[in-house]
Amino acid sequence: MVEKTYKCLNPVGNQAIVDLKPLAPRLDTLDGKTVVVCINAGGDQDITIPLLKVLPERYPNVNWEIKRKFGFSAELTEEEKKTADAMIAGVIW
Amino acid sequence: MFQVAEVEQAGIPTVSMLYQDQDECFVQAATMSGSPCLRRIHVSRTLPGPEDVDGFLPDLLDALVRPLTEEESSTGVLKALGDQRILFEGTLEEAEKVYNEVETITYLRYSPPIAKYTDGLPVVIPTEEKVKEMLAHTSHAPDELIIHQKDHGRMVLGMGEGAKKGSPVLFQPVKRTATVEQVAVNAVMAGCKPEYFPVVLTIAEAGGGGGFDGRGSQGYIVSGPIAKEIGMNFDVGIFGPGNPANRSIGRAAELMWRNFGGNVPNVTNCGVMGAPLFNCIPEDVDSLPPGWKGLNEEYDYGKDGSIIYVMNLGRGGTTNIHRTEFSPGGYRAFQKSGHGGIARRLGVKGIPGPHNFFEYMLTELWAGREGGITFLMLPQMARHMYDLGFKSKDEIYEWLQKKSYVTMKEYRTHSWPDVQTNAWLGIEPTSGKPYKELPDDYMVPMIADPYDSCIIVTGGGEEYPQWLGARRGAGNLAYSIDYWR
Repeated sequence: MVEKTYKCLNPVGNQAIVDLKPLAPRLDTLDGKTVVVCINAGGDQDITIPLLKVLPERYPNVNWEIKRKFGFSAELTEEEKKTADAMIAGVIW
Repeated sequence: MFQVAEVEQAGIPTVSMLYQDQDECFVQAATMSGSPCLRRIHVSRTLPGPEDVDGFLPDLLDALVRPLTEEESSTGVLKALGDQRILFEGTLEEAEKVYNEVETITYLRYSPPIAKYTDGLPVVIPTEEKVKEMLAHTSHAPDELIIHQKDHGRMVLGMGEGAKKGSPVLFQPVKRTATVEQVAVNAVMAGCKPEYFPVVLTIAEAGGGGGFDGRGSQGYIVSGPIAKEIGMNFDVGIFGPGNPANRSIGRAAELMWRNFGGNVPNVTNCGVMGAPLFNCIPEDVDSLPPGWKGLNEEYDYGKDGSIIYVMNLGRGGTTNIHRTEFSPGGYRAFQKSGHGGIARRLGVKGIPGPHNFFEYMLTELWAGREGGITFLMLPQMARHMYDLGFKSKDEIYEWLQKKSYVTMKEYRTHSWPDVQTNAWLGIEPTSGKPYKELPDDYMVPMIADPYDSCIIVTGGGEEYPQWLGARRGAGNLAYSIDYWR
């Protein structure tokens, strides 16, 4: 006897095509550049406190801008993007 | 969009700091945002900070100046999913093998298998016939996309994403969309009866099992007439096992987390212990004391409206249900005749109740946490509060808020305020003064808004207060089931 066959539906949802983009060009040097360090205010301070201390000490020619923010991911506003040459995303969870 | 990718795509080079065990989740999120090669360095979970910084600092800064590799400079396309309506055609026995397939996850310790389409257990095979039966219990078309029926603000503490009315529901963590038919497929697989389907569709509108952050941090309460119509259990054992509606509706949420949210531990979801609470439970609106409103009325859907209320299961991908311990019979002795330890603590020894059992719990409610509280309250305990003079839930919420004040000295010893106060650099809202300027004896509320608390009258049996986290702030927590009928 031939066993009955069925069409069985796919439970997986829909995902649109994602265009994969290249990374932004890297800087030739950090000297004289503005680097925003975006950290989670109050989070993982055992790392961020010594990091924020040594950056200007060891790299005094870089314009370090510290952005403290509570959030899920590091981000820059449109205004901040106008002056930032690079970003260190230090929001660690 | 993953915000770091947005910065990189604006032409600003970035480097991210993360833990090694989070690396694949980072790559997945970056890929879904169109920047699969985002540079990152790994920090340590164990090294002292200064030593860790010394170790990673050269790599951190090098990532901003090191020339791009060929792979980092390339473009490409991540192919679409969802265009294959039929997953498999064959016998049911053959289909079971397909639906129960697993994949080895090397990003988990000892590389365990994780189910590709299920919660790890066998499922009902979603044949066209069974899915059609499910679809007969909604007026919505099979190809209709699940759409937000209301605006939703960005969720509490800035985590998660907001959504506008009319926009497709993006299932966390990988943000796929789904149609009514795809929800029906998952409902069949979970073992739902067709009459449960409007409830499952409503849970889909609420984001499915992944919740607002993809970590399974929300549970579902049914409030309104449909709970009885579909035979939910309101009494002993609401969290299961045993009742088909409570259990299978919850399971459908979990399957949507896998199949719509793309949830795979440590691949797309860097949660913690996971979310074991996959039962949907009903509110017992018929057992509310006189004048107390059910969740359906609280959210303006009326007594005859049926809704899903999204319950906060806790932060960080770990379900968090507390229970205040009363000895067997301890609560009853306290209320009936003022006997026992509860009565002694409250100074009502020998005095018959009703007494306010919350007074007994106050010392523990904010010992290690902050914020409002959701109480799962047995009907007889709600009645005691009513007899004591609380003629609405709101009166209890307001009383609790007044009782929630602690000293700044105490508040400074809690963990979350380190971030909630902007590392103590922020302004304390009740005084308008910087946190750092407030004296040790200044009193701060642990509940900011009285209505952050929530009482859900449900369950039966021995009197224990069980409690969870607050209502979630900016999200709209009530969803109409009737819309999906």
